[in-house]
Amino acid sequence: MSSVLTTPVRAGDGAKAPAPRNRPGSRRRALRSRISAAGLLLVTLVLVAPIILAIKVSLQSDADASSNPLGLPHHLDWANYSNAFQTMDYGRSVFNSVLITGCSALVVLLTGSLCAWPLARLSRAWTKIVYQFFVAGLTIPVFVLITPLYILMRNLHLLDSFASVILSEAAISLPFAVLFFTSFLRSVPAELEEAAAIDGAGPLRTYWHVVLPLLRPASATLIITLTLAIWNDLIIPLVMLSSDNKQTITLDVYNTIGTHSYSASQLLPTVLLGTAPLLVVFVILQRHIVAGISAGVGKD
Amino acid sequence: MKLNSRSALLLMLPATVLYALFVLYPAIESIQLSLTNARGLRGGSFVGLANYRALLHDPQVTAALKNTLIYTVFVVVVQNALGLAVAAWLYSHPKIRTIARTGMLLPAMMALVAVSYLWQFIYSPIGGPLNAILGGLGLQSLEQSWLGNPSTALASIAATYMWMYLGYTATIFLANYLAIPASVLEAASLDGATGWRRFKYIDWRLLAPSLTVNVTLSTIGSLRVFDLPFVMTNGGPGNSTQTLSYVIYTDSFQNFQFAYGTSIAVVLLVITIIASILVTTVLRRREVAA
Repeated sequence: MSSVLTTPVRAGDGAKAPAPRNRPGSRRRALRSRISAAGLLLVTLVLVAPIILAIKVSLQSDADASSNPLGLPHHLDWANYSNAFQTMDYGRSVFNSVLITGCSALVVLLTGSLCAWPLARLSRAWTKIVYQFFVAGLTIPVFVLITPLYILMRNLHLLDSFASVILSEAAISLPFAVLFFTSFLRSVPAELEEAAAIDGAGPLRTYWHVVLPLLRPASATLIITLTLAIWNDLIIPLVMLSSDNKQTITLDVYNTIGTHSYSASQLLPTVLLGTAPLLVVFVILQRHIVAGISAGVGKD
Repeated sequence: MKLNSRSALLLMLPATVLYALFVLYPAIESIQLSLTNARGLRGGSFVGLANYRALLHDPQVTAALKNTLIYTVFVVVVQNALGLAVAAWLYSHPKIRTIARTGMLLPAMMALVAVSYLWQFIYSPIGGPLNAILGGLGLQSLEQSWLGNPSTALASIAATYMWMYLGYTATIFLANYLAIPASVLEAASLDGATGWRRFKYIDWRLLAPSLTVNVTLSTIGSLRVFDLPFVMTNGGPGNSTQTLSYVIYTDSFQNFQFAYGTSIAVVLLVITIIASILVTTVLRRREVAA
């Protein structure tokens, strides 16, 4: 595994090594590679530019931004942020998002792994049918469920509660979680679980002390994928929640901007405050996030 | 630990109940609801296929159907082509790969709502940065109201979506690249297969698994596009950026036409199922052949 990962680097060195440095062919190749690398960095910069531009304009007054849309600000207007912060009910909304995202992810993690274990280890006709039911759930767009789900939550007297959002988000995420855990468990041998049985552990003890720790890398990946999807989701909180003090940060961004006619100096700080928590998490957990995105394709 | 059927059943119960109650049951309910004339929470009476007949003649729905399909085909083709090119580019520069990928992934960490407002600002006709850049480059003739012009609005939304997910798509292709033993690509280069030839005969086939994942994700993602038109254009100007999800939401939760909105959702479900069967059969067959 580690040799596979380091080989591309060695291949790059190897391509240069055989030819002496002063040969025109190799120099041309090195030049071309350097230009290509510069091009790649330029493309990256162009893709990041809208975010950098937004940060810049978010710190300008409207007059400065319109007379000077692309240049450096003459003066940093931090008041834009304190204004947005106050209009948004920021702390409350971030707290709600953390609560909703955390609870949904925990429910999916526990129920999904409990379900995946027998699906991976027990081969019966009925387990195959259950598995297919979860596969079917992968393609159902949330918009097909949204109205019946709204009516169901109303009948359960759960509308405008955190539970309505947590249950909906968790159930919608379950198919992916179950299939992901099942394929992960199929790739590891069952010996540890069998050893636990010889020691006399029952199913739940084995699950807690053997299966769940075994799933740790897959769980990390799954939690990151779920966090991205649930934290950023608009439609379910939009339909289920109506009280201002229950809204998620994503819904807060929508409500704050959607109900005002905003200028750039009001709009962009709101957008960036709404985005900041996940961007910080991304910078810290980058390696895991990349692993989460590449799950099922790469080697991670 | 040898699981028996009884303990297996108990272990699977929580997930199955949650999934059956909040996904399968609403999915089946939606078909039933679409055959009634329910408005709001008052249950309606059975009207057969009346909603489906009505939606065929609803200009908003037919526009949404057309826009959704055009948008999906455009995004799936362009985003995967660009993502593949960027991944090949990243692969050939191991030293700057991580920093470049980090930058490209940043937009995918943002909520679609936030991205929508950000690009609404970039596209804005008065003092918007995009027009300012075009002006600075001497391309004043191209300056326009990007979201206010029916012929550019949908394309502008598609560009926003692709900006957001290009890094994501490239990351998946890159992971596939990194999983190919380097000796395979080295051997191909020694045999004289370089550049475009190597890509066409070697890389393209070995990248089949990530192509399946990416095409599936972008198809499902763009068929259900909602936040972008909802925030950026409200379906306008005219009907030029109506999408199926947007019409489902407005008909159900702004006009309270629960049954009618849901019948459009069933159409979206059928299209999604057909598309994913199509994508899976074609691309999986390709994977096996390669």
